[in-house]
Amino acid sequence: MSFFSEDRANELRTIFFESAQELLQALNEQGMRLEKQPGNPEIVREIRRAVHTLKGDSAACGYRELSEFAHALEDVLTDEIAASAGASVAETVLASADSFESMLTAYRRSEQPSSYPAVRVMIEQLRGTPVAEVTPFAPEFAWTEYDRLLISQHAVRGQNVYNVGLEIDPQCAMRSAALQLVRNVLEEVGTPLAIHPSEETAEPPSVIESALASHHPREWIEKKCHVPGVVSRIVVQQSVASAQETIETPVPSQATPANVEVPAPNQPEPEALHKQSTSLTNVENILRVEAERIDAVLDLVGELIIAKSMFQAAVSDFGRRFPKDALYHRLHDALGLQSQVMQKLQRSVMKIRMVPVEQLFRRFPRIVRDLSKQEGKQVDLVLEGENTDLDKSILDALAEPLAHMVRNAVDHGIEMPDERQLMGKSERATIVLKAYHLGNNVVIEVSDDGRGIDVERVRAKAIERGMISLEEAALLDDSETLKLILEPGFSTAEQVTEVSGRGVGMDVVKGVIDRMKGTISIQANRGSGSRFRLNLPLTLAIIKALLFRVSERLFAVPLTSVLEIMRASEKDVHVVGQHEVMQLREEVLPLVRLERMVNGTASEREGKLFVVVVGVGDRKFGLIVDRLVGEQELVLKALDDQFMSTEMVNGASVLGDGRVVLILNVPVAVERFGRADSANRSSLEASA
Amino acid sequence: MEQFRALVRAQDRQPVRYLVVDDSIFARKNLSRIIEAFGGQVAGEAGDGCTAITEYDRILPDIVFMDITMPQMEGIEAAERIVHLHPNARVIMVSSVGYQENIVAALQKGARHFVQKPVKPELLYEVVKYVLGEDGIAVEPQEEVNGESVQ
Repeated sequence: MSFFSEDRANELRTIFFESAQELLQALNEQGMRLEKQPGNPEIVREIRRAVHTLKGDSAACGYRELSEFAHALEDVLTDEIAASAGASVAETVLASADSFESMLTAYRRSEQPSSYPAVRVMIEQLRGTPVAEVTPFAPEFAWTEYDRLLISQHAVRGQNVYNVGLEIDPQCAMRSAALQLVRNVLEEVGTPLAIHPSEETAEPPSVIESALASHHPREWIEKKCHVPGVVSRIVVQQSVASAQETIETPVPSQATPANVEVPAPNQPEPEALHKQSTSLTNVENILRVEAERIDAVLDLVGELIIAKSMFQAAVSDFGRRFPKDALYHRLHDALGLQSQVMQKLQRSVMKIRMVPVEQLFRRFPRIVRDLSKQEGKQVDLVLEGENTDLDKSILDALAEPLAHMVRNAVDHGIEMPDERQLMGKSERATIVLKAYHLGNNVVIEVSDDGRGIDVERVRAKAIERGMISLEEAALLDDSETLKLILEPGFSTAEQVTEVSGRGVGMDVVKGVIDRMKGTISIQANRGSGSRFRLNLPLTLAIIKALLFRVSERLFAVPLTSVLEIMRASEKDVHVVGQHEVMQLREEVLPLVRLERMVNGTASEREGKLFVVVVGVGDRKFGLIVDRLVGEQELVLKALDDQFMSTEMVNGASVLGDGRVVLILNVPVAVERFGRADSANRSSLEASA
Repeated sequence: MEQFRALVRAQDRQPVRYLVVDDSIFARKNLSRIIEAFGGQVAGEAGDGCTAITEYDRILPDIVFMDITMPQMEGIEAAERIVHLHPNARVIMVSSVGYQENIVAALQKGARHFVQKPVKPELLYEVVKYVLGEDGIAVEPQEEVNGESVQ
């Protein structure tokens, strides 16, 4: 690396770490595929490719230990070893992937990586695997254009076309007799569309390849092709060409001899090559950019929006003073155009920050596999909606909570196989991770078909822990009771296993979701599984908000959570239990007096008041406000914790005229000030 | 000779019946010995092609072992005629390497299989099993199926 500047070397390393992460992901995914299909040569090839790349890249960066390790693994990833060693190959690949990951972490911290002797032993054991067959028997099945046309015609007619490869027994001295016998056999089990080498060859062949149309199952063909004394090894596979062509080629339905002369409309080989090249260019069109750079652009866009509203304020002042001035109209037009462009700019930048949730989801198959294996459970993980886009910062923040929820599902939700059988469920449990857009939100669901949550036990536990009183418990409905498991210090686990013992508890999950202005809802039925649903905003950076005043202070709520605005008078307000409520058509609407947040007391208003109806999860609340100011796009500026307790307010924004507006965290505010006799006092008053 | 699991007919569990065609008495004796080791029954023998055809018509064997070079009518022609009259006949050509072209011809004319002389019993057993296909099954030779013990 001496000819590189230190900068260049660092940049290379950054790229290496990123691409290595993807290679590891590929290793994990392919390793798990291999576990399900041991010895599948295609998967082994994929793995070998990833390991090979990792070896080369790490060597280029001077990470010798990793490179050597990868080399050792690559060495044993031969088709023969994979075919004869079976499942232990997948095990070794997965274990190696873990070691690679730890090594990468060590390199990142500029530490010396350890050598992982246990995994090395696994690799060495693979190397020692007795290899069943010295030379692999892999016929090429290189059909001519004419053959392929014939194959596709048969495939289109719904016939199975097999590629059959037969190795003539080296012990067999009568090669041409053997060839004749093989022909007889092939004709007996089906219609040979092509036989290579064809009859005319002078030199009797040692391998015979045939494309065979047959209505017999593959096993039957295999059995019949095992001609004693003549054939030593065989390969029978469904013809790839036929499968491909049935999908891709609209072959003329009437296969007349005239058609045979015409070259196939779509020749599979160039087609495949073309596809490969386009996918290559696709890869090259993707540009890797550090997230910070995008954030910097986004910040600037935010500043622009503020600048725009300053400009807008100035222009409307100007308009008030000189309403007839031609300059005012020109300014006004320019302003309109500018805001249009600005909107597009903002949307484009936001799009850059959007990443498919798949980046997060793809970690989970491995996590679930490891956990379920460790606990002796059988769990299938189903991923849905991986293409749903989500702001990168939200995605990153979600990683830990989601991992915890999935671990919980495996650890507490899913029963042991025998228990499941007793319940009349299938032994294999299913966990579904699902993402989808809902309005301006993204919903992420973790559901399982395990034992669910026992609401009565949750209630009992909460009382036992002193979280709620007996009287309070009686008032809570089931969904409110379930929410208690999100509170600090609550755990229904019978025992702390290795699995649940680490990471964050559900209260931390809730904390993270709150901070992102998201909500959690829980559905659980005893015995039939549970579902945790996270409802998150698409983005955190720029929001449309409704501005209003409470006790002369400016607040905003995200417009997406505003359901409607209505006028009411004090006499519409009733007190039920601890809550102030009013009637909203057929429903009872709990009210929240935000002035308590400011003054600590509720001020009685004379006559009319405004009620902003907001949705929190699946519930509605009414915020009582003094005056509505309007809608505006706000660029969120995160507030440091030192500024104030930020739970209530999850950000602030600067308006065009320089005023500061606080953006209310609706779920928290509702919870805190929803009760009429609430003793809570905000620290806002003191610090703001 | 080593023990083989007896090959019997699937339909009635009776010994498989063989017709052995060869102009060499020694070759016929050798093949008969092997057949008995397979738990089979030598239903008939023939020293030339013509006799082979009449014997086939008379005894309707399950398997025919057919030599290539014989007086009066050669094995190829005999095989062809037998298969022509009995399309399901299972004729296995038994020949030395030098007559490969004839074997190819016999296979084209309906012979089911071929083995090379000198005959290896293990291979011949597999060949017979293969040619019998669903119609033959291997059973443990607890009882002497054909009543004669194998020398």
